[in-house]
Amino acid sequence: MKKLSTLIVMMVVLLPAMAQVQYGTDQYAVRLNVGYLHNTTYGSYAGFDIGGFMPINQHFEMQADLRFTTANTHAFGVQLRPKFPLPVGELFIEDRLLAGFYKRDNFNDMVHAIGVGYRMDYVSVQFGMSTRLIIPIPYNWHDVSEITLEPFNLTYRVEVFVRPHTSPWNISACISNMTDYQIERMWQPIFMLGGLYNIDEHWRVNLSALCKPTGMFHLNAKYYAAEVRAGFAYKF
Amino acid sequence: MKKTIILSSIVALLCSCNPETWDLDIAGMFSGSSAGIDTRIDDSFRYNDEHGFPVIFANDEEYKTYICTDTHVDTTRNYWTRFIYAYRADLDCPLAIHLGDLINAQRHWDFMKEPLTTIPANPLKKDTLLAVAGNHDLYFNQWSEYVRLWKTSTYYAIVRTPAGKQDLYIFIDTGEGILGKRQTEWLTSTLNWADKQGFRHISVCTHTHLFKRDSSQGHTSNMPLEETYALINLLKQHKVELYWCGHDHSREVTNLGSMQAVLIDALYDAEPNPAYIIATYGDEPIRYQFINL
Repeated sequence: MKKLSTLIVMMVVLLPAMAQVQYGTDQYAVRLNVGYLHNTTYGSYAGFDIGGFMPINQHFEMQADLRFTTANTHAFGVQLRPKFPLPVGELFIEDRLLAGFYKRDNFNDMVHAIGVGYRMDYVSVQFGMSTRLIIPIPYNWHDVSEITLEPFNLTYRVEVFVRPHTSPWNISACISNMTDYQIERMWQPIFMLGGLYNIDEHWRVNLSALCKPTGMFHLNAKYYAAEVRAGFAYKF
Repeated sequence: MKKTIILSSIVALLCSCNPETWDLDIAGMFSGSSAGIDTRIDDSFRYNDEHGFPVIFANDEEYKTYICTDTHVDTTRNYWTRFIYAYRADLDCPLAIHLGDLINAQRHWDFMKEPLTTIPANPLKKDTLLAVAGNHDLYFNQWSEYVRLWKTSTYYAIVRTPAGKQDLYIFIDTGEGILGKRQTEWLTSTLNWADKQGFRHISVCTHTHLFKRDSSQGHTSNMPLEETYALINLLKQHKVELYWCGHDHSREVTNLGSMQAVLIDALYDAEPNPAYIIATYGDEPIRYQFINL
C-alpha cells in the first residue's frame, strides 16, 4: 500500500514535468468580435464582444469576456483555469463566473460553474456543474424571496479539432451547454463550429457559428437561435 | 465481412421494430417530425375563430378549479379517473384543467378520454374540462389526434360569477419547449386586451415549467433562458397572478414577485407521489392546496 501511495505521488509530481505538449500557453491576447444573432424571441440583433486571454504561467490562465447586444442583453464573464500538463494532453479545472444582464426583460442572472476537463490535440472534454441566481430588476435588497436559485445544473463541453494545437490554423466542432456568454440548462445543448487562422506572430482571425435548438428533450427538436461572429485577436 | 454482418444485423433489427409500439420518439431529439408550433397555432386559431372562447359560469363568487397534469395515460388510468370523480363531485367546481401529457405515447387517446363520457356528470351542476398539449401529446405526429379530441391548445377561457366578476385563464402551448413568435404576439395582445377588461384574476396554464429549483437533474427540459425571462417579464407586466404548469413531475412553487409559478406533481399511475391542485378563486388572492393521492 505504501509503495502504491509513493508511486501515485511520484506520478502526480513527475507527470507535469514530463509533459511534452502544453495547451493554452500562448501569448497574452485581446480579441474583438462582431456577430449577427437571431432567436425566435428577440428576432435579429447584433452583438459586439471583447475578450482578454491571460496565460499567467504554465499552470494557470485567465480569460475575461464582455458582450453588448442591440437586443439590450449583455454579459460579462471571467474564467480561471488551473492546468496540469500530462505526457499526453492536459488536465484542467475551469472556474467560471458569468453575469447575464437581460435588461430588456428586467432580469439579471449570475452563474457560477466549475468543471474539470481533459484536452488533447484533437479532442477536449469537460464536465462540471453550475449554480444560477436569477434576480429581477428592480430588486428589493431587503427581500430575498424574489431571487430564484437553480442550485445544480450539469455542464458539459465536448470539442473536436481538425488540427493539433500548434497548427497556425484550426477548425473545431463542439457540443456544449456553455458559450462564452451563456450557460444554459443541461437539457439545452448548443452546437458550435469554430475556425481560426494565425496571420502572423501577433494577429489572428477567427470565425464561429452556433445553433441552439429547443425541445430536444421534449423529443420534438426545433430551431430556436443561431449566431455567426467574426473578429480578430491581437497577441502580445 | 464481420463488420458487414454486424451492420446488416443492426439494420435488420431496426427495420423489424414497429414504430407503432415505441413510447419515445428518439429521432425527434434531433429532427422533430411532429407538428411545429406554427402549425399548431394555425390549427388552434382556426378552431378559436370558428367556435370562440369558452365562457364558464360559476354558482358563487368563490369557486374551485381543479388542476392536474401529466397523467401519461397508457394501459391504466386510475389516478386520472379519480381526478374526474373528484372534480365532478365538487359542487363548487365549474372548471377542471389538464396541463398536458394527457397520454404517455401514441395509441392511447380514446382510452384516455373515455372516462369523461362513461363517468356520469353531476346532475346538480355543470362543469368543463379544458386542456393544453404536452410534449408526450405531440411527438410521433400525434397533434392531429390531439386536435380531434381536444380541438385547441392556444386559447383563453373566462369564468364568470353571478355578480358578473370575471377570471381569465390563458392556455399557451409549450409542448415542445418553445412559445414561438406568433404565440408570443397572441399572448401579448391577449394580455393587453385583458388589462382593459378588469379581470379579477388572470392565470396562465401551460405544460412546461420555467425553472428547475430542486437539485435533481430530472428528465425534463424547459424553455431556453431568453424565452423564459421574456415570458416572465411579459406576464408580470400584465399582473398575471399564477403560472400553472407541470412537465417535471415534482412540485415546486417559485415566487416571482407579483406572480407565482406552481409546478404540479404528475398524476401518472407509475408516479410514487401523485397529486393535483384545488385552487380557490374568489375576491381574495388565489389560494390552492395540493391533494396527494
